Amino acid sequence: MIKEYQGNDMIVATQIDKFYGNGCHALKAVSAIVHRAEVVVVIGPSGSGKSTFLRTLNQLETISSGSISIDGTDMYDKDTDINKLREEVGMVFQGFNLFPHMSVLENVMLAPLKVSKRNRQEVESHARQLLCKVGLETRIDNYPSQLSGGQMQRVAIARALAMKPNIMLFDEPTSALDPEMVGEVLDVMKGLAEDGMTMVVVTHEMGFAREVADRVLFMEEGQLLVDDTPTTFFDNPPHSRLAEFLSQVL
Amino acid sequence: MEKTSSNLLWHGVLLAVLLSFGYSIVLASQSIEYNWRWERVVPYLVNMEPKSAVAPFDGVAKVSADGLSVVVTSDNGEPDRAYQEFSHLIVGDGDLVFEGDVIVTREDWRMGPIMNGLVVTLKISIVSLFFAVIIGLFVGLARISSNPLLKHLSLLYVEIVRGTPLLVQIFIFYFFIGTVLGLDRFTAGAAALSIFAAAYVAEIIRSGIQSIPAGQMEAARSLGMNYSKAMIHIILPQAFKRTLPPMAGQFINLIKDSSLVSVISITDLTKAGREVVSGTFAPFEVWFTVALLYLVLTGTLSWMVKLLEKRLATSD
Ligand SMILES: Nc1ncnc2c1ncn2[C@@H]1O[C@H](COP(=O)(O)OP(=O)(O)O)[C@@H](O)[C@H]1O
Ligand SMILES: [Mg+2]
Repeated sequence: MIKEYQGNDMIVATQIDKFYGNGCHALKAVSAIVHRAEVVVVIGPSGSGKSTFLRTLNQLETISSGSISIDGTDMYDKDTDINKLREEVGMVFQGFNLFPHMSVLENVMLAPLKVSKRNRQEVESHARQLLCKVGLETRIDNYPSQLSGGQMQRVAIARALAMKPNIMLFDEPTSALDPEMVGEVLDVMKGLAEDGMTMVVVTHEMGFAREVADRVLFMEEGQLLVDDTPTTFFDNPPHSRLAEFLSQVL
Repeated sequence: MEKTSSNLLWHGVLLAVLLSFGYSIVLASQSIEYNWRWERVVPYLVNMEPKSAVAPFDGVAKVSADGLSVVVTSDNGEPDRAYQEFSHLIVGDGDLVFEGDVIVTREDWRMGPIMNGLVVTLKISIVSLFFAVIIGLFVGLARISSNPLLKHLSLLYVEIVRGTPLLVQIFIFYFFIGTVLGLDRFTAGAAALSIFAAAYVAEIIRSGIQSIPAGQMEAARSLGMNYSKAMIHIILPQAFKRTLPPMAGQFINLIKDSSLVSVISITDLTKAGREVVSGTFAPFEVWFTVALLYLVLTGTLSWMVKLLEKRLATSD
């Protein structure tokens, strides 16, 4: 592990291609760089490869060709321990994926205890602190089935943060929520962005992209077509396909 | 209100059906002029014959004043022999006793052959159940492994075991594998049962694991857990809960299937039943008793599983 890397490029994806087992060509020569403390939002029609791209960044999907390095570490180097690398990269899923057989506190504490082998007291106080930060300090002993969608997603964010990651990936974190709960989750994400977290967010929340993102990417049919600042992206779409897409969703 | 009264009616009908079923059994046995003699079965369950203690030498008995102990003093200088905690005193104070005379008797009970058979059935079931779960867990994990060797080997195992009769497997284990490896009857029988049940347990565990949404594994892996940690902390505990009902069914099958080991002369409940029938001339009573004892075993097991299910249900 090249821990002492101090460069500014947290994620460097170079010419990545992804073929699924069924032959689906989900990513076509995608290259992107995410700098430290940057918030990058990925937008695109359904099936365009957004999730696939995000999932290659913590190797939930392996790539077929190209290269990815995270915080200076080449993900596909034979000396790279993928489990160590994943500790640095938190992920939040559309469907929350909380562990239903554990309480909220246990959900947040599990990985730091079992993976990082940190001291129990320290882990617990950190977990309580994180749950406080996402506004769930009163729900610590509840089970996921007793929470609303928005609460579950905030627990999932706290759970990912408990590993003290340097990068957070969000795959449509508000798409499974009732409209009235979208705001509470986006607020937590905004807070994270203000704290200087490096974030890659797949979302359909254009307001969030405009307000919080440093850069917005547009994907279509496995290709990365646009990578620009929110202002240019929304007000002056540099690609005709993007203009067409925006006119449909806005 | 209407609901409860119609429920009451159906319970009444149920009672009537059960009563007429019982009566038809009585009629049936009358029609073949069968004399029910349940008391004949009892000694084969528990042997209540009192135990007697006999004098080891010639001598004189001396009963204590309170009548709670007897000491026999030898005529030939052998050390005195004392008897306590008996239920019937046979000799009197100062009696001469000769070697072999009964001094005292004690109320006692021993397990009869049917009870011994029950213990053997219980033992072979528990041993087989334990190994079936261990083997089944590993085979189940191998079934979903991405390694082709593990995947195909485990599939082959499951197909072979499920595709051949247990009786034949027991014979193979006893006559072939048992002979090659020098296994005794019990080990061969328990091994056959374990291997047989493990194939079913493996399939239950495999489908239990596969019923857990893929997102659970992904969430665990994205937190930096390796495959085995994710399995141990996330997937298996959830799968365990879902597999309990089919697993309970499989365990009950295992107890019942264990009756087949009687073919290799293991004196389990079934074999004990067969032996007792030939001694009592009370075949109906014996087989009903044997059935009832199997029912007690399986009933207890499913009751315990129900308790466990209730305890585990707290989180959802
Ligand atoms: N596990 C998979 N196996 C095969 N094809 C897949 C799989 N996951 C996604 N795909 C395909 O890859 C393409 C991109 O999917 P995805 O990355 O989920 O898109 P998005 O998140 O933008 O909706 C789609 O055509 C989808 O059908
Ligand atoms: Mg998606």
